[in-house]
Amino acid sequence: MSDAASRSRIADIALAPEGERRIEWVARHSPVLNRLARERLGDGALRGRRVAVVVHLEAKTAYLATLLAEAGAEVVAAGSNPGSTQDPVCSALVRRGVEVHATHGASAEEFTRDLLDVADTGPEIVIDDGAELTRRIVEHRPDLVERLAGVTEETTTGVGRLRAMEAAGRLTFPAIAANDALCKHRFDNPYGTGQTALTAILRLTNLSAAGKRFCIVGYGWVGRGLAKRAEGLGGKVTVVELDAVQALTAYMDGHRVAPLARAVADADFVIAATGKVEAVSRTAFAQLKDGVVLANAGHHDREIDVPGLRDAAEEETEVRPGVTGFVLDGGRRVYVCVGGALVNIAGGDGNPIEIMDLSFSVQALSAHHLAGGGVPVGLNRFPRELDDEIARVKLATLGVELDEPTDAQRLFAEQWTA
Amino acid sequence: MDSLIADAALAPEGQRKIAWVAEHMPVLNRVRERLLEDGSIAGRRLAVILPVEPKTAYLASVLAEAGAEVSVAFQGVMVHDDVAAGLASRGVEVFAKRGSTHEEELGFFDQVLARRPEVVIDDRADVIRLAHTTHREVLDTLRGASEQTTSGVVALRAMEADGTLKVPCIAANDARCKFLFDNRYGSGQSAVNAVLEATNLLMAGKRFVCVGYGWVGKGIAKRARGMGAEVTVCEVDPFAALEAYHDGFEVAPLVEACAIAELLITATGVREAVGSGAIDALPDGAVIANAGGVDDEFSVPKLEQRAREVRHVREHVDEYRFDDGRSVFVVGKGVVVNLSAGEGHPAEIMDLTFAVQALSARHLMLHGHELEPRVHALPPEIDESIARMKLDALGLRIDELSPEQQAFLRGWEAFA
Repeated sequence: MSDAASRSRIADIALAPEGERRIEWVARHSPVLNRLARERLGDGALRGRRVAVVVHLEAKTAYLATLLAEAGAEVVAAGSNPGSTQDPVCSALVRRGVEVHATHGASAEEFTRDLLDVADTGPEIVIDDGAELTRRIVEHRPDLVERLAGVTEETTTGVGRLRAMEAAGRLTFPAIAANDALCKHRFDNPYGTGQTALTAILRLTNLSAAGKRFCIVGYGWVGRGLAKRAEGLGGKVTVVELDAVQALTAYMDGHRVAPLARAVADADFVIAATGKVEAVSRTAFAQLKDGVVLANAGHHDREIDVPGLRDAAEEETEVRPGVTGFVLDGGRRVYVCVGGALVNIAGGDGNPIEIMDLSFSVQALSAHHLAGGGVPVGLNRFPRELDDEIARVKLATLGVELDEPTDAQRLFAEQWTA
Repeated sequence: MDSLIADAALAPEGQRKIAWVAEHMPVLNRVRERLLEDGSIAGRRLAVILPVEPKTAYLASVLAEAGAEVSVAFQGVMVHDDVAAGLASRGVEVFAKRGSTHEEELGFFDQVLARRPEVVIDDRADVIRLAHTTHREVLDTLRGASEQTTSGVVALRAMEADGTLKVPCIAANDARCKFLFDNRYGSGQSAVNAVLEATNLLMAGKRFVCVGYGWVGKGIAKRARGMGAEVTVCEVDPFAALEAYHDGFEVAPLVEACAIAELLITATGVREAVGSGAIDALPDGAVIANAGGVDDEFSVPKLEQRAREVRHVREHVDEYRFDDGRSVFVVGKGVVVNLSAGEGHPAEIMDLTFAVQALSARHLMLHGHELEPRVHALPPEIDESIARMKLDALGLRIDELSPEQQAFLRGWEAFA
């Protein structure tokens, strides 16, 4: 047994061939990562450095972990959500020499144990999702904090948590908001989640989108993508927002805007994308239409108040794989996709590969940047020039050319005198 | 009951899937009530030749609940074994197994025909062709057939034209409640969805080629665009090509379009619509799938012959690697992709289609003996009654012509 295998906690190493196939398919569709791995990551900055990858453990994450390992890093991986962990991929990753602590459907205790086991390997760089590992290190392994050369965070929610940590004076190491990179949130959130949340819901339910009313709760980058794709599938969109500017944007994009209780009343599908809790809460249950389908495309399993729904329900049954039916007062039926977990990840293969090629290029360069040192303590932006570099590589792999500013344009931009 | 299925123990899962679609098929549920009330098909023999998935299973079970003796058969690539088991447990005879051989399938059709069906609900005219060739003995007792697909209707018209057709057939496909919704919105959504789910690839910005701009092609082009693709349409029909142009799509000859295709879906109903020349033009890594009614819209056996290497790369995805180093990826083995790599059309769409089929079968049971052995349209009043039931189920109301408006439409005199 290899070292990686003996230290890992996975379901079954025999699943590795299937995981290998999935990772190969990803490698083929990740031109940006492939080029950056060749041209940037192997300069020695990552050699011998302990890198923890705590992101949904499916094939795309596994490919990122592989490239970091090939660049010389000592990589240890865990899932960011037990529902999204794919066992065959974990097995293939162990075969590739990466230490893995994750199983599909792990209990809350196992999941915490896995994360703490990863923490105990003493990571210098953390590629995190929802700050799941970072906050556990800070809370439960304070003596390991000083080993941290930096954390790079994947999600809107995680960046929020790091900000809260900073406000509380506990962010005593460098962190980069990878989520806020243009090459991440402008593509991953709207185009990635927009497409895959909808395809997952339609596949899970085998229902039609054309003519249906979609209630999109939250009009951030994910919500915008959901609304656009729902329209593209023939649906009609109502947006629910708390933020006035976002609500106005939804209005100008041609969507109906309404408070939750009113918006859900005629909705056939309700999709949450708020990154907060109780986006679809008890107060809305009474208004839900018979037969409505609820799904979560945000961050948390808690965007839809499933425990509240369970309390209120007279009956609960799994009506199809991945679809739970709740019968409320008077026989109204409410269906929840994948128990309120992230629908595109727990109910599908997650974001499209080409999108994660961009997101993980941000993460790879962000980790590489942290390894180089010199990043200030606290929450930092992802360097704009790296963002630009990724976009240019992506365009080049697509064969798309763009113009350079002319001298006159450059001069005009530099001028300020009347 | 003599069903031939993979595993009867899978029935509970199949039952659950059938129950889910039943909830989303309000029109078929009303048709069921009507058939139960009028007894029009009670005790009559019906064959249902359709992919064995939950919606079809519900149609077959509605017909059985209304008292008909129903038998079902289909090719294995489009059979869900749990649904087959669930259906068999609902009192329908089922002859279908996932992965069945061609010989087994011929045996399944033999079984269905041996039951001397009075009406066949057919798909791609498969069983009607058998009834007119190797199984002519069944023609005596066959009152008629109702055909589900565009390609099947084309075959039936050819049979009518050369005098082969001996029983009346209703082109259920040509009912407005069928092709305007099933072909366009049903295939459009579910074919695009199946390809994206099977590949985990992005649609936004992709150069997408839609081969064929009939109702299926229209739906696919629209949904591909709705998911952010840049769509090019290939056609042989000048009117369809002009429609595509006016709908805002690029129009190009197939080989030229293939040269830049990242994703390609066929919807032509024609064998080898995408031939070797077009396959050779595809760039490395192109993903192709078929959403049309004919399995060989591009020839998978030919791809196999010409490829240096064939590899199964993901569930539902096979790689064909050629000598020049290019790879082409096929989703769903070239068989209609929304069924081979998915669960077929959405339930609400099949609600319309199967209301058409159920009422078409009823019409043939009651009036088949009065009809000429030709291809007939579904009577328009039946078609309209289905549309009205669907609107009603959706809670949508529409206007009616006023007496004045009706008079205007009836009048022909010049205005005073």
